[in-house]
Amino acid sequence: MSDFQLYLTNTAGLSSVASFWVFVASNGTKRFQGITLKVANGVMLLGFVALTVAIITRGIEAQRFPLANLYESLLWFAWATMGGFLYLCRSYGIQQLGWLASLLAATMFLYGSWLPQSQHDISPLVPALVSYWRQIHVPPLIVSYAMFFLAGLSGLLNLWQAGRLRSLAYCVGTIIAASSAIGLGTFSKVDTVWLQLLFVLSSVVGPFLAFASLKVQDAAIEQSKSAKKAAEMYDDVGYRCVAIGFPLLTIGIITGGLWANHAWGSYWSWDPKESMALVTWLSYAAYIHLRIQRDLSAEKLSIVSVIGLLLTLLTYLGFNSLGFGGLHSYGKFK
Amino acid sequence: MASLLKQQDQDDKSKDLEPVRAGGASEPAKKAIAGKDQISPFASVKLSVFLMCLMALTILIGAGVPQESQGGQEKVFEVFGPQVAEWLVRLGISDIYHSPWFLALTATLTLNMIVVSFQRVFPKLRLLKNSLPFFRGQDILKLPIHHSLTLAKADESTALIADLSVGLTKLGYKVKAEGSKLKGEYGVVGRLAPSVTHVGLLTLLLGITITSWTGFTGFQPVLLDEKLNFKDSQHSKLWVGSLPKWQVRVDGTRRENYSSGQAKQWFSNLSVVDDQGKVLHQGEISVNNPLTYENVDIYQSSWGLAKVAVSFNGHVRQLDLRPMGEKYACFLPLDQDTVLIMSLASEGKSLRVFAKRREWQAPKLISEIQTGKSIKLGDVDVVFEKAIPVTGLQYKRDPGLPVTYLAFGIIMIGVLLAAVPHRHVWVALEGSELYLGGTSRKAKVGFERSMENLVEKLKSSFTLHEQTPIEEGEQADV
Ligand code: HEM
Repeated sequence: MSDFQLYLTNTAGLSSVASFWVFVASNGTKRFQGITLKVANGVMLLGFVALTVAIITRGIEAQRFPLANLYESLLWFAWATMGGFLYLCRSYGIQQLGWLASLLAATMFLYGSWLPQSQHDISPLVPALVSYWRQIHVPPLIVSYAMFFLAGLSGLLNLWQAGRLRSLAYCVGTIIAASSAIGLGTFSKVDTVWLQLLFVLSSVVGPFLAFASLKVQDAAIEQSKSAKKAAEMYDDVGYRCVAIGFPLLTIGIITGGLWANHAWGSYWSWDPKESMALVTWLSYAAYIHLRIQRDLSAEKLSIVSVIGLLLTLLTYLGFNSLGFGGLHSYGKFK
Repeated sequence: MASLLKQQDQDDKSKDLEPVRAGGASEPAKKAIAGKDQISPFASVKLSVFLMCLMALTILIGAGVPQESQGGQEKVFEVFGPQVAEWLVRLGISDIYHSPWFLALTATLTLNMIVVSFQRVFPKLRLLKNSLPFFRGQDILKLPIHHSLTLAKADESTALIADLSVGLTKLGYKVKAEGSKLKGEYGVVGRLAPSVTHVGLLTLLLGITITSWTGFTGFQPVLLDEKLNFKDSQHSKLWVGSLPKWQVRVDGTRRENYSSGQAKQWFSNLSVVDDQGKVLHQGEISVNNPLTYENVDIYQSSWGLAKVAVSFNGHVRQLDLRPMGEKYACFLPLDQDTVLIMSLASEGKSLRVFAKRREWQAPKLISEIQTGKSIKLGDVDVVFEKAIPVTGLQYKRDPGLPVTYLAFGIIMIGVLLAAVPHRHVWVALEGSELYLGGTSRKAKVGFERSMENLVEKLKSSFTLHEQTPIEEGEQADV
């Protein structure tokens, strides 16, 4: 990895951390809020541009499409998160999502930087990956995952603005528990059985408790008209993210099928990672039909989008780091 | 008006059409329009959501538990131990995609989708032809998003309507005018999304069915100079196809390495031969580059060294090799305590011979032999004749593929269309009062913002002032 590229990636990583703090700080001051938010957005934009250039130069240096291992896919994920937020911010002006998006990008940078050096090095490709299909298949998937994460985070903000603080706490707790399982699975020697258990149990119990406690609503927030309006907006933003992510996931899965058929003669082989993508796809198809049906309240849909986030996390990082195996080894390095 | 909107948005049970409905049709009338009474119980979207979740859960389990179709039953026993594994096998969980449960679920979901598609999704295409009327100011005020403004100078009215018409067109609306009324529609293609997607899904099912009834697939490891026949191929029970009469001979196969020694690519030279041995077709394949003959595709799917031919005092023996990381090895027990180990790198050019005795920590290298060369081991003359590679060939005939690919295309277009929000706006200028409002099923906030921007622009060019902002009171704190 060249110094220039390292420098750019670090700039992007640091700016995601910086934008997080500026977004957080903007809540502390009513008077300077406008300007702090502009600054935060600017910092985010800087990081986004730096990362774009870093990814391009990595591709030039490696003389191949720079999306071939976990580290590179994390860079793409962070890129899509930042880009997705900047896009949403332009059309919605949703600043509170800013610190969550920054936090997400920063976490991915941190996760990526802790990976062993072999991941950072530009390594040659195994036979199966030597194909132009790679650049058609993987980017839509990574971007869709990022959009689903943003949808889940909007769901959290919706719960917040709807005054469902207890449900929110359960959702946040679940996300933290599930991510910890993945972090430990990647970097520690803890037996994966315990981590699988942690992930699965928290993903089942957390959302269940969140649903069960939707009745508890903060009275002060309930009265506030502005909170109600904001809640509606986050609901809409979440749907928008899914509306963008779902076609991308569909395209990713289908192009994966085309590639597999071209390379191995079968477009579907029930490989665990493949199956997980299908699970995620079916869940978001269910989400979309629930939306159309409108039987569920916005808050319930928000919890559904958090469940979607957990499934996306499991598909993207969980299956390899929690030791479920599979052929899609690019997510694996142990 | 309410009923018309209702018709356009049958499934919009609440929220954005609430105000319209308040002054709208009676309950029985609405039922008649929606026609829900004639719809079979199988056409429930609730049922499909439930089935989709069950399906997702089933596949989730299939992804988490090693499947017999991939790692074999031994793998299941290895991971779970005999007691649990036995239950998993008995319950069909270790082969979940072939279990009656999964098949029944697939069938129900398919039935549900077919019924819903024909009863609820496709009929809506008819509604696209019905165009909505122009609205009066009173109607516009009932729309979920609306603005009403007062124009101070009456002589600006023509210019105002013209300006609005241009502004809406710029935003992508198809605008129609009638006197001082406008109506505009945006993203009508978004309305096609459900129909297109579901047509695609049904086409996919058709393609898969054609394939499973007329196609076959299989895998066979083939040694150099030997032939691939299609005897062990797999196909469904309802199969109506036939297997090829010809065979495929492996004339050559090799592995190309990176300088680090890792595999970069595998190649095989294949000849299609008939039963008399006549060559019908030839070609080289590699991973990602198959060979096709009479609609049968043959793929390079794996590669290895299978055997090593070694002669001992003139007697040639072929020893089976085992893959050991990037190398291949075979083990020959000489006596109770001694094992002779032969190891080959993937090039298969030189054979390294080791001996291992029980008391030794590690095997000792005795010698390295090049192809065709020999060494003396005691009174035995050992010649390394050659390494024999094996190429893993995957093959299939997939007659439904064109249909499946067509389905892929349709589904991709369908889901992309679903991201396009379908929107309506209406404008009416009555005297000095300007009414502007609309509906959007998706991306409501974006719609609201675009309407607000439009109003702001109007305010800056005309002598307009707003009477009732959409939401009186505090500004949203976001
Ligand atoms: C299995 C049974 C299924 C049933 C019963 C079903 C039913 C429906 C219904 C009733 C609609 C609403 C139509 C409308 O608003 O005009 C719809 C829309 C839709 N369905 Fe399905 N569906 C099924 C499966 C799927 C699957 C597996 C997908 C996966 C791609 C899918 C994708 C869509 C899309 C993209 C829309 C349009 C959504 C939108 O306009 O935002 N459907 N479906």
